[in-house]
Amino acid sequence: MAATLKELRDIKAALDEHSIVAMTDASGRITYANDKFCSISKYSLGELLGQDHRIINSGYHPKAFFRDMWETIESGRTWRGEIRNRAKDGSSYWVDTTIFPCMGRTGRPTKYVSIRTEITQRKADAAQLKRYSEDLAEKNMELEAIVSTLSHDLRSPLINVQGFGKQLARACEEIRAAFAASPDRALPASAVRQPLEVAIPQALNFINAGVSKMDSLLTGLLRFSRLGREALTIERLDMNALVAAAFSAMKFQLDAAGADVHVGRLPDGRGDRVLTGQVFSNLIDNALKYRHPGRALRIAVDGHVENGQNVYSVADNGIGIALEHQPKAFEIFHRLNPEGPAGEGLGLAIARRVLERQGGRIWVESAGDAGSTFYLSIPSAEAQPPPFP
Amino acid sequence: MKHEGALAPDILIVDDDDGHAILTRENLEAAALGNPIRHFRDGQAVLDFLFEPGSHPPASKAGAYLLLLDIRMPKVDGVEVLRRLRADPKQRNLAIIVLTSADDAREVERCHALGCDVYLKKPVDFGKFADAVRRLGLSLTLLIKSPSGAD
Repeated sequence: MAATLKELRDIKAALDEHSIVAMTDASGRITYANDKFCSISKYSLGELLGQDHRIINSGYHPKAFFRDMWETIESGRTWRGEIRNRAKDGSSYWVDTTIFPCMGRTGRPTKYVSIRTEITQRKADAAQLKRYSEDLAEKNMELEAIVSTLSHDLRSPLINVQGFGKQLARACEEIRAAFAASPDRALPASAVRQPLEVAIPQALNFINAGVSKMDSLLTGLLRFSRLGREALTIERLDMNALVAAAFSAMKFQLDAAGADVHVGRLPDGRGDRVLTGQVFSNLIDNALKYRHPGRALRIAVDGHVENGQNVYSVADNGIGIALEHQPKAFEIFHRLNPEGPAGEGLGLAIARRVLERQGGRIWVESAGDAGSTFYLSIPSAEAQPPPFP
Repeated sequence: MKHEGALAPDILIVDDDDGHAILTRENLEAAALGNPIRHFRDGQAVLDFLFEPGSHPPASKAGAYLLLLDIRMPKVDGVEVLRRLRADPKQRNLAIIVLTSADDAREVERCHALGCDVYLKKPVDFGKFADAVRRLGLSLTLLIKSPSGAD
């Protein structure tokens, strides 16, 4: 008997070392809590005794969750589950919980023993893992979209190179046939005029244009991919200085366009100085390129802090972007207006890439004709570097 | 294939790439196709043409036009043109062949959903074109110039 008691005491001691243990009466009032329970819930034993578990209810689980739990244990079955609780100081913690009903003679539980293990870290890891996997899925989709866009965009000039290559071959064949048909090996002008004056120059034109197009697509792709590999130097950024530098680099074009520039007070951010500066330069360049012919260009840059992120806006009064074209504005090689000012369709795609790598975002709001406002967010100067560069 | 009195559609090439349009036209004309061919550089231009009544036969008249419609175009793209044409009951019978520069299952799927199941991968040659026209149905007639009548 004494040996059995000793063994039970030892088991309890071991249990107390490992687990959060509590007992309640049949109505759920706490009659016992071990040290681990007190330390994780940050309540003293005195504060816990006599209370029911609502004292640590975090409000996270729906009522049905606890209803199901009570139904299970009141009917004499063991309940297992993961519960998020709230400590006295308001912080929350997760516990893997087993509640064992101790049955009385009447066949109903007279008390309940609960044994819990803290799994807060595991829960946080799982949530993080989920974020990573969502991130990865998104990146994969982007990559697929890039491959699909690029294969289309490369095929298009290729069709011209192939097609007009055949036209060249036909022109050669025509000249050769005319040559063979003339007995004195003297070509009549009429036989070579069409190929020489029309077919061959036209074919060469399209072939050359196609080749340059493919060249610029591949150069652009390389630039885009380089940005994904380049190491970032994340530091505190004086955004007013950074934006001022971007404007002054384009002073000549801005003055020539008679642009009215306004820059508000911008909160300091965290990011790569060079790349973030390039994003602003690109947005200013776009504002210049797509200014409205009927009004003097106005560019306003402002910034504020929102949920720990700094949000900067670059607003212009240019030609704007129609709502249906806005989602495509950031796609690689997508040009909203290929007949408009020169561009590769890379600027905004690169801006998005740069910002996402720094833990930020870029988006646009435009009511069409009245101009566009580009928003970009980066971590504020006080923020920790992003865990997923 | 020449039937006097049958409806021989004008062929409307809708393609933002001038080179592709020229190659398509040359490939069709090289096969002595006699149907008139017109080229539109973007979706809006062909919609304006089809929806503007008066100067030309109404598109609703079956066999009046055959569209060779490129999918990827800036601004109003081929999918949008298809959507607008299929949404208009008067244009429902318009013959449309979709052009793609790559075998993109997703693009083909989108066009299919909009009621166009005949598509051609560029570059268009006469054989594939005639095949696609056959699949579109019987109301279309291709005019083939007889060798003596060719100019």
